[in-house]
Amino acid sequence: VRSIVVSVEGMTCNSCVQTIEQQIGKLNGLHSIKVSLQEKNAAIIYNPKLQTPESLREAIDDMGFNAILAD
Amino acid sequence: MPKHEFFVDMTCEGCSNAVTRVLNKLGGVQFDIDLHNKKVSIESEHSVDTLLDTLKKTGKTASYLGEK
Ligand SMILES: [Cu+2]
Ligand SMILES: [Cu+2]
Repeated sequence: VRSIVVSVEGMTCNSCVQTIEQQIGKLNGLHSIKVSLQEKNAAIIYNPKLQTPESLREAIDDMGFNAILAD
Repeated sequence: MPKHEFFVDMTCEGCSNAVTRVLNKLGGVQFDIDLHNKKVSIESEHSVDTLLDTLKKTGKTASYLGEK
């Protein structure tokens, strides 16, 4: 089990937060996701056999939010 | 080009920006977003299914309203 923090740009309210938590939370290999509107990021705990930092970043990006991996 | 109208359950600017981004990513579309009425009209050669699937990527409820 690993954890990463992905920067997420473009969220404006709590419903944005919930939408991301719900959609990404459904993915295979997801243990937990906590999105912060204030910090503009998503803290994700996942199974590295099923997801990678890039696959997670891309999943958020595909929803229409600008997602960036912090080095 | 056919023009299609969709319902997308958008509640804020974040939602309408997300719709803008997924549609621009798809490409080959010209669109108008009416956040207040939760409507998106799209002019495109893409099929209705493709457009609907693209809108659903935002995680919002979306449905097809018809040709305009
Ligand atoms: Cu929002
Ligand atoms: Cu929103």
